[in-house]
Amino acid sequence: MSTTTPAVTTKPTPAHAARKAKPQLSEGARAERRLGFLLIAPAVIVMIAVTAYPVVYAVFLSLERYNLALPQDTKFIGFANYGAVLSSPFWWQALWVTLIITVFSVSITLVLGMLLAMVLHRTLFARGTVRTTSLIPYGIVTVAAAYSWQYAWTPSQGYLSAAFNNSAPLTSQVQAIIVIIIAEIWKTTPFMGLLLLAGLSLVPEDLQKAAKVDGATGWQRFTKITLPLMKPAILVALLFRTLDSFRIFDNIYILTGGSNGTGSVSILGYDNLFSALNLGIGSAISILIFICVAIIAVIFIKGFGTAAPGTALGKR
Amino acid sequence: MAAITPRQRTGWLTANFVVIALALIPVLWLVSLSFKTPTAVLDPSFIPSQWTWGNYHGILTSSQFLRPLLNSIGIGIIATVIAVVLASMAAYAIARLQFPGKSVLIGMALLIAMFPLIALVTPLFTIERALGLFNTWPGLIIPYVAFGLPLGIYTLSAFFREIPWELEKAAKMDGATPFQAFIRVIAPLAAPGMVTTGILVFLACWNDFLLAISFTSTIAARTAPAAMQYFSGGSVFTVPTGPISAAAVVITIPIIIFVLFFQRRIVAGLTSGAVKG
Amino acid sequence: MIEHGGDTSAASRGARGAPVQSHTHRARHARHARGPGRRRRRGSLWRLLAGAAGITLAGSALAACGTSSAATGPVTLNYYLYPDTSGATQTAINNCDAQSHGAYKISYQQLPQASDGQRQQMVRRLAAHDNSMDILGLDVTWEAEFAQAGWIVPWTGTYKAQAEAGTLKPALQTATWKGQLVAVPDNTNTQLLWYRSDLVPTPPTTWAQMIADAEQLAKEGKPHYIEIQGAQYEGATVWFNTMVASAGGSILNASATAPSLGAPAVKALSIMKQLADSTAADPSLSVQMENQNRLQMEAGNAAFQLNYPFVYPGMKADNPKLFKVFKWALYPQVIPGVPAKVTIGGIDLAVSAYSQHQNLAFQAALCLRDAQNQLIGATVGGVPPTIASLYNNPALFPDYPMHADILTSLENASVRPQTPVYQVTSIDISHLISPASGISPTGTEQSMVGRINNALQSKGLVP
Repeated sequence: MSTTTPAVTTKPTPAHAARKAKPQLSEGARAERRLGFLLIAPAVIVMIAVTAYPVVYAVFLSLERYNLALPQDTKFIGFANYGAVLSSPFWWQALWVTLIITVFSVSITLVLGMLLAMVLHRTLFARGTVRTTSLIPYGIVTVAAAYSWQYAWTPSQGYLSAAFNNSAPLTSQVQAIIVIIIAEIWKTTPFMGLLLLAGLSLVPEDLQKAAKVDGATGWQRFTKITLPLMKPAILVALLFRTLDSFRIFDNIYILTGGSNGTGSVSILGYDNLFSALNLGIGSAISILIFICVAIIAVIFIKGFGTAAPGTALGKR
Repeated sequence: MAAITPRQRTGWLTANFVVIALALIPVLWLVSLSFKTPTAVLDPSFIPSQWTWGNYHGILTSSQFLRPLLNSIGIGIIATVIAVVLASMAAYAIARLQFPGKSVLIGMALLIAMFPLIALVTPLFTIERALGLFNTWPGLIIPYVAFGLPLGIYTLSAFFREIPWELEKAAKMDGATPFQAFIRVIAPLAAPGMVTTGILVFLACWNDFLLAISFTSTIAARTAPAAMQYFSGGSVFTVPTGPISAAAVVITIPIIIFVLFFQRRIVAGLTSGAVKG
Repeated sequence: MIEHGGDTSAASRGARGAPVQSHTHRARHARHARGPGRRRRRGSLWRLLAGAAGITLAGSALAACGTSSAATGPVTLNYYLYPDTSGATQTAINNCDAQSHGAYKISYQQLPQASDGQRQQMVRRLAAHDNSMDILGLDVTWEAEFAQAGWIVPWTGTYKAQAEAGTLKPALQTATWKGQLVAVPDNTNTQLLWYRSDLVPTPPTTWAQMIADAEQLAKEGKPHYIEIQGAQYEGATVWFNTMVASAGGSILNASATAPSLGAPAVKALSIMKQLADSTAADPSLSVQMENQNRLQMEAGNAAFQLNYPFVYPGMKADNPKLFKVFKWALYPQVIPGVPAKVTIGGIDLAVSAYSQHQNLAFQAALCLRDAQNQLIGATVGGVPPTIASLYNNPALFPDYPMHADILTSLENASVRPQTPVYQVTSIDISHLISPASGISPTGTEQSMVGRINNALQSKGLVP
């Protein structure tokens, strides 16, 4: 930067720095660094203060045999808990159920969310009403919505059960999982739609118009202009939705309580932590969930190139 | 400006209708359940065979529900405001500034976003008890902020990256400090992102059940989702369908108001044209 | 924060001169081009922050009010119990406060409605040595766990004598751990056979007979379901426990160190499987809990129901027509001629080991469950009493015409396995017997032995 004068009037600098260009730059860079640390400090402090001890403690607990009701039997057992979890059929079944729910609900939500985003973005009438209404599923407390679905599928009491010949889908594993997936999709499509809408609105109108003039069809415009420009937004939305979906809990807890083989890994962790009071096993399950989730995140960031903010912008 | 063809009109009207219907049917089911007497609950139709206001009367005249509702709103708003402010600062720094340790911060945010909450409940409970935060508003606000920050930082970073920075450079050239540039030039452009993030964080706090049930013991700090667990029916075996449905409906109303209030701002922000201007 | 920035830049704008204004001018115009929306947003943001600050202050003040304690006067005893909207508990509390003559004042702290939620709330705080809990309302299956962990104190001396006087033996058994009395029984519960006399003039006395009757009704096209709790939860374990005990066996051995099961368990499982496979079974058996059973019966879809007495006032209120043919009998026998041993339920009151007023807590608990208050609990609250003499008290008869059968059932009741790892045991059992159609009598018994062994040694996961 050759125009150093305005910089001098705005930042207090030591007198000698004005003489050379190089110290001037590092002074600016130093101020920028200071500002950077200052800006992230409050967020970092809060996050560390709240989660540092619990996370470390949870890891430590996973290496112990610790039953809350039998505190005198506590002892360090290394990785035995992990061995017990990984050799337990309950863990693998829960993992399998979780993966199925995640894959199906996220992919369907992505498609529906995109459709929703387009309606919210482009609809000609009552845009405000449509937007408000479509956000209601996301706004309802999850357990309340889950109750709605549960009562709806209760034989002889619910409208959905009646529609399907008084069936009781919550009694069978496959049908119950489908019901859970539907409940998840209903609840989270607005979230996806909202994130995609924000990305969609950043696609410049002029590009669309120019393409239209050049004779591109709606589908071509969508796949060649809209989608690529929305890719960062899509990937961020997918990342968060997948991470959340993998840890699904509320819907399953209310709909089936995890019975009949519909429990996710989070339900498994919850049962072992809070019902069985087995802090050792429960923490080991939690750490394993974390590892799975971390793997998913790595796949997204390294594999799909989801923007990990800051990494792409290192150079300026 | 092309005229709206009848085909387009019906097309968009249908789309609107489908969206509204799909979004509202489960909600209408809850509304219908909330007006049903315990006998009418057995009947699967949407129109209650027997109407009663009793469910609403029961929960609205009871401090066991009104106070938790107030708690939810207050705790949610405070946690959201704090989280959005902190996240904005951090996201700006990540998106625009050069400093070491950026990836550490992102890694930390990701770790918190990914770590299962169930494992953190017991140690957090112990800390809160030791600090006297158990069953208080800050006892829920602080964890909500901490767990809302990763989502906030990520969302806002994505937004901030899309903002054209020539405006900021121009402001800097005119002598503004990075801080002033942020406040006067970037903040207005980031407003829609901040509003969106605010909505996401608020709804996350609003929806939370696990922390609410674990860190509160009385209505002093209990929030609405946890309060629904304390409703009881006529006996220990009866599931209080009516009161729960009524509570669910009542809890949804502030959300509708909230979304209505903020939705206008989203519209204003997204269509302002300043970002592309 | 944003407001400050605005003010500073306004000041610096004035100080700088032309070049600055031209660039920020554009930005300013861009702002104004959006119209008054921006001003409104900043103003409303201020209001939001002010409101938030106000709410924090108000909230903290309210929270502080809630936790402040009385300096002098009667000691406050915190009584933790499920939410009782009938008013019976509050009446009992008022009675006891009055009788204490100012010594203590009981504060009713409600727990979640679901049994699991109650246990979790209490366990979490007891494990953290919370000293603000005094009297705990425990489900009859928690005593072993709480006592073993040292969270509740044994009853001795006169308190023990008063607790035991006139109380039903099985109820006392639920409150006993390692030979010590660790709680005082408050209310109890047992299941009866409820049937429709218009469909079945004479009630069946055995399971085989009941299933046969139901299948006959099914052939005739009449309502024929046998309602029982078959969902994958504690209620299924209760059913299994009743069946095993009625078959002459038990789930655990006498010292609760190993599973017993064996032939009685196989017999029990085969009857359960027989029901699940027959036309007598409700299609929703595997998701049904007590309330769904009641509702099915009230809707007229069922002929038989195995449930607690709470269904009686329910039918009276909800279906007066059907109420006229709504009758009861003792629980069907598994072995013909041998009375069934129905699993006992109910609530026992215990004193927290971390309570700072244990003496007063004992006295208060004894008062809360005395004859007068148990009678109120029975007539107003719908929970059968644990004091035997009350079953001959005429005040009980109007609400409990079936009092004689309840007493018979209670005196012969069976207790669920008494072990600190009961929760895990119960989860293991319920997952093996629900859905009941998946039972294979010998295979399931084998799996159960294995799982219970693991549970007793704190090995392995719960599903």
